[in-house]
Amino acid sequence: MERSYQKHGLINLLTLLGVGGATFAAAQYVHSLAGYVVALHLGLGVLVAFVGWFQLRLEEREREERLEFEELARSKGQTALFESRAEEQLPARRAREQFERFFVPTFTGILFLGQAAGAYFLWRWLGKQTLPPLIQPLLALAFFGLFALVLFLLGKFAATLARLENQRLLRPSGDYVLFGAYLCILAALAVVGIEAGFPRMDLIIARILVVVLGIIAVETFINLLLEIYRPRVKGRVARPLYESRLVGLMGKPEGLITTAAEALDYQFGFKVSETWFYRFFEKALGWLLLMQLGVLLLSTCLVIIEPGEQGILERFGKRVERRALLNPGAHLKLPWPVDRVYRYRTDQIQDLTVGIAPATSDQNSATPHANLILWTVAHGEEDLFLVANRVPPNADRQTAEADRKAPPVSLLVVNVPIQFQIRDLLKWAYEHEDAADLLHKLATREIVRYLVSADLSEIMSHGRAAAADTLRERIQAVADANNLGANILFVGLQGIHPPVKVAPEYEKVVSAIHQRQAKILAAEADDIRTNALAGAQAFVTTNNATAESLRVEITALARAAAFTNQIPAYNAAPSVYPTRAYLQAFARATANARKYVLLVTNTQDVVQFDLQDKIRQDLLDITVPPAK
Amino acid sequence: MKRNSLTVAIGALLILIFALLLFVFQVRQSEVAVVTTFGDPKRNIDAPGPYLKWPWPIQRVYKFDQRIQTFEDKFTEGLTADNNNLLTMVYVGWRIVDAKTFFPKFAGGSVPAAERMLEGLLSNAKGAVVGRYDLSAFVNADPEQLKFDEIEREIQAMVEAQLRTNDCGIKIEFLGIKKLGLPESVTQTVFERMTSERQVLVSRLQNEGEAQAEKIRATANRQAAEMLAAAEAEATRIRGQGEARAAELLPVFEKNAALANFELRLQAIEQSLKERSTLIFDERTPPFDLFQGYLTNRNSK
Repeated sequence: MERSYQKHGLINLLTLLGVGGATFAAAQYVHSLAGYVVALHLGLGVLVAFVGWFQLRLEEREREERLEFEELARSKGQTALFESRAEEQLPARRAREQFERFFVPTFTGILFLGQAAGAYFLWRWLGKQTLPPLIQPLLALAFFGLFALVLFLLGKFAATLARLENQRLLRPSGDYVLFGAYLCILAALAVVGIEAGFPRMDLIIARILVVVLGIIAVETFINLLLEIYRPRVKGRVARPLYESRLVGLMGKPEGLITTAAEALDYQFGFKVSETWFYRFFEKALGWLLLMQLGVLLLSTCLVIIEPGEQGILERFGKRVERRALLNPGAHLKLPWPVDRVYRYRTDQIQDLTVGIAPATSDQNSATPHANLILWTVAHGEEDLFLVANRVPPNADRQTAEADRKAPPVSLLVVNVPIQFQIRDLLKWAYEHEDAADLLHKLATREIVRYLVSADLSEIMSHGRAAAADTLRERIQAVADANNLGANILFVGLQGIHPPVKVAPEYEKVVSAIHQRQAKILAAEADDIRTNALAGAQAFVTTNNATAESLRVEITALARAAAFTNQIPAYNAAPSVYPTRAYLQAFARATANARKYVLLVTNTQDVVQFDLQDKIRQDLLDITVPPAK
Repeated sequence: MKRNSLTVAIGALLILIFALLLFVFQVRQSEVAVVTTFGDPKRNIDAPGPYLKWPWPIQRVYKFDQRIQTFEDKFTEGLTADNNNLLTMVYVGWRIVDAKTFFPKFAGGSVPAAERMLEGLLSNAKGAVVGRYDLSAFVNADPEQLKFDEIEREIQAMVEAQLRTNDCGIKIEFLGIKKLGLPESVTQTVFERMTSERQVLVSRLQNEGEAQAEKIRATANRQAAEMLAAAEAEATRIRGQGEARAAELLPVFEKNAALANFELRLQAIEQSLKERSTLIFDERTPPFDLFQGYLTNRNSK
C-alpha cells in the first residue's frame, strides 16, 4: 500500500494561500513595499502548489487505477487479453498524460507571463513610490517574523519529505514554502533597516526581490525552451516543467554550501568536504548565524553622531533625562529596541520660502532666460498678498471709476526666503508634530500681517533692509512664543514685487521717472545755454557801447583839433577854402552814386526817370520742365 | 541531537521575540495611547515607556501623536461687514489631550477625521467672525486700525466653545490667519485699478517733467532778458557818457560857427551818400555849373 502525498500538497497549497494573503494584508496595513513583492512571490507559489497538488491527485488516481486493473487481471486470469486492451481501459493514465502534455506547458507559459509581468509592473510601481513611513513597525516585524516561522517549519518538513520520499511533485510547492520563509525574513529585515535609520532599505530589498522574480521568469522561459528539445526516454520521470531550480536553491541555502563543497572537492582533487574544518563549519553554521545575529544586536549598542548632528536618546520610548541629547561623537546605549536614537541635523542651515512654489527644473530649463529674474515673468506658482492702498481715493479722475469697483487694496507677489537653524532640539522634536511646517505657517502669518499695512514703495526700495529686519524679529518672536526652538537667521525681501499682470505698468512708471528727469535735464541744459548766450550778448552790447562811446569821443576830439587847424585856412581864403572843401567832399561822396545831370534848358519836356532796379534774367532762372 | 537543539533554540528565540512583540508595546515621549479590550477603550496612557497588553484580538493599542499638530483650512471666500468679498485661510495648532475621549469620537482615532471636524468648526467660526469686521480691519495703511489679534481670538474662542461642547479630547493651542486674498473677478478689478494708478503716475510724471522743463526754460529766458536789458542800459549809459565827453568839445566849433556848420553839412552829405544812391543834378549844381559855359545850344551873341 503506497502512501498518499496528496494531503501534503494540499497543506502546502493552503499554507501558501493563507500566508500569501496575510502577507499582502500586512504589507498593505504597515505600508511595506518588500511585503507587497513577497506577497506576489507567494501568490505565484500558490499557482505552482495548486498545479502540483492537482498533478499529484492525477498520479494517485492513476496508481489506484493500475492496482485495480492488475487485481482484476489476476482474478480473471486473462492477462493476455487485458494487456492488449490496457491503453483503452486506463482513463486515469490517459488523463494524466494529457494533463502533462498540454496543460503543464500551457500553465508554465502562463506562469512565465505572470512572473515577467509581475517583475515589470512591480519595478515600475516601485519607481513611483515615495517611501511612505511604516505604520507600527514593531507589528510589521511581528507579522513577517511569524509568517517566516510558519513557512520555515512547514517548508522544512515538506522539503525534507519530498527529498526523502523522492516526491518530485511535492518538491516545487515545498521549495516555494521554504523560499517564502526567507522572503518574509527579508521583509522583516527591511523593517529593521528602516528602524535602524536606513529609510531606503525597504525599497532596496523590494527591488532586489523584483530582480529575483525577473530571474525566475527567465529560468521558467529557458525551461520552456529546453522542454521542446528534451529527449523523451520511456520510463524516465522528468522534473515538473514549472519547478524552479532557483527557488529550490534559494529555499535551501545548505544546498548552496553542498554545491560549493562539491566544487571545492573537484578543484582541489580531494574531499575538502570531509576535512575537519568543513565538517566543523557545517555543524556550527547555525550557531555562527546565531552569533552573527547577536553581534548585529550588539552593534546597535554603539551609536555615532555625525558632526553637525544631534541625537535624542529614548529608552522604551521615554526620554533619558540625563542623556536626552547626544552630541557628535560615539555613544553607548542599550540594544535596539530598548534604546533608540533619533538624529537631527541641528547645525544645518535650513530654509523655507513663503509666497511662492518654485518652478520645477523642467519649467526652469524651458524658459529662455533661466537665470534672469524679472517682475514680468512668473518664477513659479505665485501667491498674491494684499497690501493697503495708499493712493488717496478719487485723487485723479482716471482712477475714480476703478475705485468704485475695486476694494481699497493692492496686490503683490512675495517670495521671501527664510533661513533658520534648530536651536533647542528637544523643543523642536517634542513640542510639535511638524515644527518646520508650523514655522512656515507662522512666518506666512507675520508676512501677511506686515504687508497689509506696509508702504509698498518703501519696502520695495530704501526700506527693504529695515523691513527684512523687522520681519525677522517678528518671526523669531512668534517662534519663541510657540516653543519652536528655532533660530531665525535670515529673512529676505528681495522677491517682493507687483503681480506679473501689472508689473509692466510699474516698469512704465520707472520709465516715466527717467523721462521726467531727462526733460528736466534738457531744460537745464537749455537754461545754461540761454544764460550763457545772454551773458555773452550783454558783454558784447556793453563793449560795443564802450567802443562807440570812445569812438564818438575820440572823433569829437579829432574833429575839434582839425577844426582848430581849419580856421586859419578859412580865414586865409574865405571863398576858396569852402569851395575846395565842398568839391572834395562832393567828389568823395558821389563817387559811387548814380548820377544824372540835366543840362538841357531849352525844352519844356518832362523828363521821366525809371529808377527801379531791373534784375536781368539769367540762364539759371530758366524753369526746367518736369520729367514725364 | 545537536541540530535539533539548535533548531529548538532558534524556534524558542523566535517565539520569545514574537511573544514579546505581541504582549509588550512602547509609547514614545511624543505619543499618547489608548488600549482597547475587544474594541472598548479601557486604558489611557499618557506617559512614555513600555507597557503590557493582551495580544490581538483581545486588546489593541492605538497610539496618537500628543505634540501640537497644525492644520489649515481651505482658502474660503466670505463677506466682510462692508460687503467686500475676502478669501481667508486660517491655521490652527491643536493637540490630543485625552486619547480615551478622542479615540471613539473619530472612527478609531483617525486624525484626518478630527481635522475634517476641525475644518467644519473653523469654517463656521471664520465666516461668522469675518462678517463682523470691515475690510479695513484686515487691510489698512494704518497698523493701529488692524484687528488681526482680535479676529483670531474671536475665531479661536468660537472653535474652543464648540470643542468643549463636543468633548472630543482636543485642545486648541493657537490659531492664526495665514492668508488673505480676493476672488478672481475682484482681483482683476484690482489689477485694473492698479494699472490705472500707474498710468496716472506715468502721466503725472511725464507732465511734471514737461512743466518743470518749461519753467526752467522760462526762468532761463527771463534771466537772459534781464541780463540783456541790463547790458543795453549799461551800453546806453556808456554811449551817453561818450556823447557827453564829445559834447564838451563843441565850444571849439563856436569859434567859427559858419565854417563848423559848413563842415557838418559836408560830413552829413558824405555819410548819406555812402550807400547806393541816385543823384539828379542840373547845370546849376557845382561843379556841374561848369557845363553852362561849354555845353549849350544857346546862341552866343
